[in-house]
Amino acid sequence: MSFSPGHVRTAVLTMRQNRWRSLLTMFGVIVGVASVVTIIGISEGVKNQITNQVNVYSKDVITVSSRAANLNAFGVSSVPAVSTLTPQDVSAIANIRGVKASVPLEILSGQAKGDRIFHGAVVIATNQNLPLVLSQSLAFGTFFNNQDSNTYSAVLGANAATGLFRDSIPLGYSFNWRSQQFVVDGVLNNFSNTLFSNDTLYNNAIFIPINAANQMSLGNRSIYEILVRVTSSRLLPIVDKEINTALLATHSNQHDFTVLLPSQVAESNTGVLNLLTELIIGVAIISLFVGGVGIMNVMLVSVTERMHEIGIRKAVGASNRQILSQFLVEAITVSLIGGIIGIILALVANGAIRSLTNLSPTLNWQIMLIAVAISMGIGIIFGLVPAFRASRKEPIDALRND
Amino acid sequence: MALIKLEDVSKLYGFGDATTLALDGVSLAINKGEFVAVMGPSGCGKSTLLNIMGLLDRPTHGTYKLNNRLVQRLRPPQAAKLRRDTIGFIFQSYNLLPKLTVLENVALPLTYKGMGLTKRLKQASGMLERVGMQSREYFYPSQLSGGQIQCAAIARALVNSPSIIIADEPTGNLDSAGSRLVMELLSEIHKTGNTVIFVTHNPELTRYATRVVYMHDGMIIEDEKTALGQVATTARRQLYSRPRKSVEDDLAGVSLLMNMVEEKDLASESVKTKKSGKSARRIATKRQRSKDETE
Ligand SMILES: Nc1ncnc2c1ncn2[C@@H]1O[C@H](COP(=O)(O)OP(=O)(O)O)[C@@H](O)[C@H]1O
Ligand SMILES: [Mg+2]
Repeated sequence: MSFSPGHVRTAVLTMRQNRWRSLLTMFGVIVGVASVVTIIGISEGVKNQITNQVNVYSKDVITVSSRAANLNAFGVSSVPAVSTLTPQDVSAIANIRGVKASVPLEILSGQAKGDRIFHGAVVIATNQNLPLVLSQSLAFGTFFNNQDSNTYSAVLGANAATGLFRDSIPLGYSFNWRSQQFVVDGVLNNFSNTLFSNDTLYNNAIFIPINAANQMSLGNRSIYEILVRVTSSRLLPIVDKEINTALLATHSNQHDFTVLLPSQVAESNTGVLNLLTELIIGVAIISLFVGGVGIMNVMLVSVTERMHEIGIRKAVGASNRQILSQFLVEAITVSLIGGIIGIILALVANGAIRSLTNLSPTLNWQIMLIAVAISMGIGIIFGLVPAFRASRKEPIDALRND
Repeated sequence: MALIKLEDVSKLYGFGDATTLALDGVSLAINKGEFVAVMGPSGCGKSTLLNIMGLLDRPTHGTYKLNNRLVQRLRPPQAAKLRRDTIGFIFQSYNLLPKLTVLENVALPLTYKGMGLTKRLKQASGMLERVGMQSREYFYPSQLSGGQIQCAAIARALVNSPSIIIADEPTGNLDSAGSRLVMELLSEIHKTGNTVIFVTHNPELTRYATRVVYMHDGMIIEDEKTALGQVATTARRQLYSRPRKSVEDDLAGVSLLMNMVEEKDLASESVKTKKSGKSARRIATKRQRSKDETE
């Protein structure tokens, strides 16, 4: 197959003569490539962000959740209706060697009212190990300790503090929750709000001692998660196994819980993202396909329109293969230029997303190379039929066709 | 030995009731260096014959030997190569690509030979100089007169230095000045040793030829060698013959006026040895033919 520069020149010439038609022809490819590249960029960027976040502060933390909290059919993690985790599990885990600290998270319902009602508030019953396990320090005051863990004291996430009180340092202030008065002991520093983590949850949280919750009659309660910090990363696999063994014992051999290593947490967090990415890439592929059909359609019309030209070229000695490659090069040129415009659009979209959101999409050259290859492939696949039709005409039949 | 040798070549168009026999068992041998004029009424199969000789079309029956090689059933790539290297085709309607300059048009056959851009433009430029068109290299066909376009088309046909030039009514769309320009060029090409075959309706142009072939209804009815510079004898008869009633026209009820329009045809017809049974068909196609000729 000869890919001569002359063919490319003819192709560019033809495109310049039919600017609008060429642009419309490319449209499907442009949209397809732009969305594929943008979406892959976002997806890759977000995955990087999540991985970095795991490395920073939760790399030694094992997450134990009930089976129901695990991935559902769509790979999306959901809050369990009924958790199977119990206080016995918490103490069983605390006794395992290599566990530095463990902390239960029990999400409770009910409205909290300080100076005002904070609608975003989430009340979480937990124990004194929370700052240690989450590697978070306090902006003001202290976290409740073992001694006062059965008093009605509370520690607020940064958003909860500003949501409930007018004063920027609400230490010693009190709020009401479920007809019980709680006194603010401390305010946590802001969690950095990375993607797909519990950071937003923690910032909105009102942490109360689990013993205080025990003293109130709250009806159905369940432990959402148990977070376990190990003494050293080396011990992660061993502790993981030990937790499994211990929990199987307390759950009478029912495997109705999941133990996730830090890396697995990241994975389950990217589940939603992967699903979304796949969906949008699917749509983009349809768009690419439609773009290809558009190219094929225009090329077929072009071949018919230019039958006389084909006849002339054959009369002066063009072979079938040379005609075939001429039209194929034209189709490839159209789709390739469409692909390049698509990549440029994706770069623009990338910049916009970076400046307007806290996402940082990555656009590496591999993605662009693949996009270029895909658009070339589309040109080949959908240009082949028209090009073949053009090449097979007997010269005299082509010449007669005006 | 003949350069072109057609034996019992027939060409059928269409199928069923709409079948046309465009060539009816034509045998023709053309030697190297001949300058052949093909004459005959419209629709008699001249173009069909030239298209087959130029490998643009294939015969339905019969054999075609080009340079002693059987070519009537060549595979497309070989046919393309022969068109490119041994045959230069010139059309009545010029057939230059309107979107390319004259220079690019002339260089086109070299493109398909795989020659580099600078080299082929240089060669094309040289060829345009030879046909006296070097000052028009960067013009587009639409900016030239008919005669100039045909000269460029001749340059294109010559650029690959083919041994055979086939021209189907090359002067058909030209005025007398353009005609002379084109015929002088073809004559020059002939003098350099090329074989030239051309179709014409103008008997005067047989002066350029060394041989004149007359066709009628897909058959060769007269084949005459002539001296350069003289109008061929049969063609002369056609030039000076008077309008005349024929038995056929009486039968078909054709008016005297129509008869005069048909005069050229009748002149050549009179030479032909008449075959009974063909007359009816000839009459039937006559109206169609006279319409063609007024175009
Ligand atoms: N593609 C075609 N399909 C059907 N009939 C054709 C075709 N080409 C030519 N013919 C017929 O064949 C006959 C010879 O045509 P042609 O060779 O073009 O004649 P000329 O060049 O002598 O005028 C005519 O009757 C014409 O109508
Ligand atoms: Mg003709």
